[in-house]
Amino acid sequence: MTDDHTLGRLAKLDIPAPRPAARESAVAAAMHAFAQEKVQHQTQGIAAQPRLTHRILNLWGKIMDRKLLSTSALAGILALPLAGYTAFYLMKENPIALESAPVAATPAYAPEPVPVPAPEPAVESDAGVAAAYDMSQMQQEVRRQAQASEASGVMDKRERKMVAQQPAVAPVSALQDVVVAEETSSDRVQSFDTNPLKVVAESPVSTFSIDSDTASYAYVRRALKEGQLPQPDTVRVEEMINYFPYDWKGPDSAATPFNTTVTVMPTPWNNGTKLLHVAIKGYDVKPVEQPKANLVFLIDVSGSMNEPDKLPLLRAAMRMLVNKLQPGDTVSIVTYAGEAGTVLEPTKVSDKAKILNAVEALTPGGSTAGEAGIREAYRLAQSSFVKGGVNRIMLATDGDFNVGQTDDGSLTRLVEEKRDSGVFLSVLGFGRGNLNDQMMQALAQNGNGTAAYIDTLQEAEKVLVEDASSTLFPIAKDVKIQVEFNPNTVSEYRLIGYETRALAREDFNNDAVDAGEIGSGHAVTAIYEITPKGSPAEQVDALRYGKAEADSEVGNGEFAFVKLRYKQPDGDVSKLITTPVTQANEVASFDAAGTDQRFSVAVAAFGQKLRHASEVRNFSFDQIEKMASSARGDDPFGYRTEFLSLVRLADAMGGSKAQ
Amino acid sequence: MKTGDAELISLARQGDSAAFGQLVGRYYDFIYRVAFRWCGRQADAEDVAQDVCVRLARAIESYRGGSAFTTWLYSMTLNAARDLRRRSVREEMRNDAYRAHALSAASVEPAETHDPADELWQAVRQLSDKQRDAVLLVYGEELSHARAADVMGISEATVSWHIHEAKKRLKTLMRAAGEV
Repeated sequence: MTDDHTLGRLAKLDIPAPRPAARESAVAAAMHAFAQEKVQHQTQGIAAQPRLTHRILNLWGKIMDRKLLSTSALAGILALPLAGYTAFYLMKENPIALESAPVAATPAYAPEPVPVPAPEPAVESDAGVAAAYDMSQMQQEVRRQAQASEASGVMDKRERKMVAQQPAVAPVSALQDVVVAEETSSDRVQSFDTNPLKVVAESPVSTFSIDSDTASYAYVRRALKEGQLPQPDTVRVEEMINYFPYDWKGPDSAATPFNTTVTVMPTPWNNGTKLLHVAIKGYDVKPVEQPKANLVFLIDVSGSMNEPDKLPLLRAAMRMLVNKLQPGDTVSIVTYAGEAGTVLEPTKVSDKAKILNAVEALTPGGSTAGEAGIREAYRLAQSSFVKGGVNRIMLATDGDFNVGQTDDGSLTRLVEEKRDSGVFLSVLGFGRGNLNDQMMQALAQNGNGTAAYIDTLQEAEKVLVEDASSTLFPIAKDVKIQVEFNPNTVSEYRLIGYETRALAREDFNNDAVDAGEIGSGHAVTAIYEITPKGSPAEQVDALRYGKAEADSEVGNGEFAFVKLRYKQPDGDVSKLITTPVTQANEVASFDAAGTDQRFSVAVAAFGQKLRHASEVRNFSFDQIEKMASSARGDDPFGYRTEFLSLVRLADAMGGSKAQ
Repeated sequence: MKTGDAELISLARQGDSAAFGQLVGRYYDFIYRVAFRWCGRQADAEDVAQDVCVRLARAIESYRGGSAFTTWLYSMTLNAARDLRRRSVREEMRNDAYRAHALSAASVEPAETHDPADELWQAVRQLSDKQRDAVLLVYGEELSHARAADVMGISEATVSWHIHEAKKRLKTLMRAAGEV
């Protein structure tokens, strides 16, 4: 009976009250959106654009209509992927057998058929949310214990039980038809187009700023491990390539801050083209010469940082870093949430206990007031400024600078103003869902710094500790690369990656134009795909009324001329390094190229594939895996092995079918 | 004395954030209630409510007072609820795909069951969007057909038609569920 009387029951539904936290977060999100809305109206019409990368910044307001997920909802959504991720992590990263056999003797992947577990009994929503939290904590727990068990080789009983509860991994063959949707998330990411093919006769010169950021790789890794293909716009190929340590030949003395190695090799994904591989290695500052460091940590302690993969992870990372610093170095800590506050005045590392206590005392709470925080951090950095040393602010955040805050553009302007004071700024991103990747990039690029994304303690160790000498000790700044191609030998070219780092041709010689910095011992790699003149792979027809041939006497037989401009970290006038690329740089086959060259090309292919670049459409993940696997080298930290597992994962998720 | 809604709205439209905050605080429960009726899950309803609050920040300026504020809120909330469902369908597809990879056993949580009216609501939630909106507004929120028509942006006669069709469909659904 569905008469009006029965339907009248509908009005009497017993509705559970919303949780106060959800209510608060909704009101806070609305207030934030409201403030943003106001700012957007006020700043309309201001269009200062001193640098190419700036033009995207006013997109920010438009992106605001993305949904701000509440923590509880996030936890709910993440529950499944996290469970899967934990399983994946256990299977791939730390092969723990279901028996208590020594780890070393266990294969990473057990191919024996595993029965499909029956669906778990349904749980109530609240319990589900709680389970999600438990899951992420458990994941941390398992990871920690797994590290411990690696040493002992044997797991304890409790751990075994946990492992036994993990779902098993399906045989890969069952996954062939699965195409995983690309992630849609509320992280703010700058969108950009892949570099197009250029014709040498028309634009023989390619100019860009170097980029030693690595955030994109960590972001891509996290997406893949959570079972999603990354959004193409989060894939910045150059950051993926530069994530890996390469053993390029470095300069012998600090007088020449870097050495350039150029290799020309056949393109694995196209028979008709070649790759022009430019590898730059910065001078490695020897510990004796290591200048004193003055580090200011600017830490977001807003409520959203209260997740296992955010503040607790940062604390652990800071403990590692503090142990690595010299007694004469200074550390200060500024936090920002409802309002900015100094937690630790500049303190010498010799007083380690005081620093560690301050790190332990960091607790999340409140919303975010980033601008005041940045100003305070710059003030502290200047108050304990070390002349000739490393003066750097490390900003750790999961996304926003909001309350009382303006748009990305004005923050960027603030950072630009402060840049001239000699204080560098690095941005460390944490967590997911609200990550403002675009802001991180903008701040780091304009504040002479790097942006890194930290998803695991391992990554924190890589970024803060292992890379400490390179990210903390800049040896050159405003490093720009300009490559001029010889129209007599090269007809077309395409720069792989660096889309967000493009510079105008005339900017190369303009010392007022800002560009990327290079740290001690840092390697930066850029790869061009070039089409030799007369190759069947030429895509653009020659002009019937072509221009007169270039002067064939100059640089006869050369492919290109690589020019590099840089400034000393404290200098204002740039210096120039040039390297002609000749037949002598060429290797006959791809396999003849160096291990590191081949590996970086594999990463480039992978990145392009995740961006759906048409050039690599017919190149399979399988081929990428083979290429990378044969170029794995020593891989002391396991980064390259991890890359291989990401390639397999993308393949299993149907990354090539999504194109 | 409490500031009137009309005054708060007009202050908020001029950019007064305190007034806007008060307004959102005042209507949060209303939005949440409608959202809960629509999706029947606390976590989802909270999401929808937050979404509506954020949309409100942008939209308040364009609210001209032509219709009652609550009418306007009804339609925003229903739209947001539909958007969330669309998103979670994608989400689920992804999870399904991933489950194939990880063979994760967990299944999607069912709607919470609370009271007898709930079974009926579960049936209502299986109706088409328009029918679902109409039943929610007319029977859940006890609006007149005319106001429901305002909210849905359709004519009163069409609302009545949707209600009529919904009743027929509900009868079938409830019979299938063993009620009646």
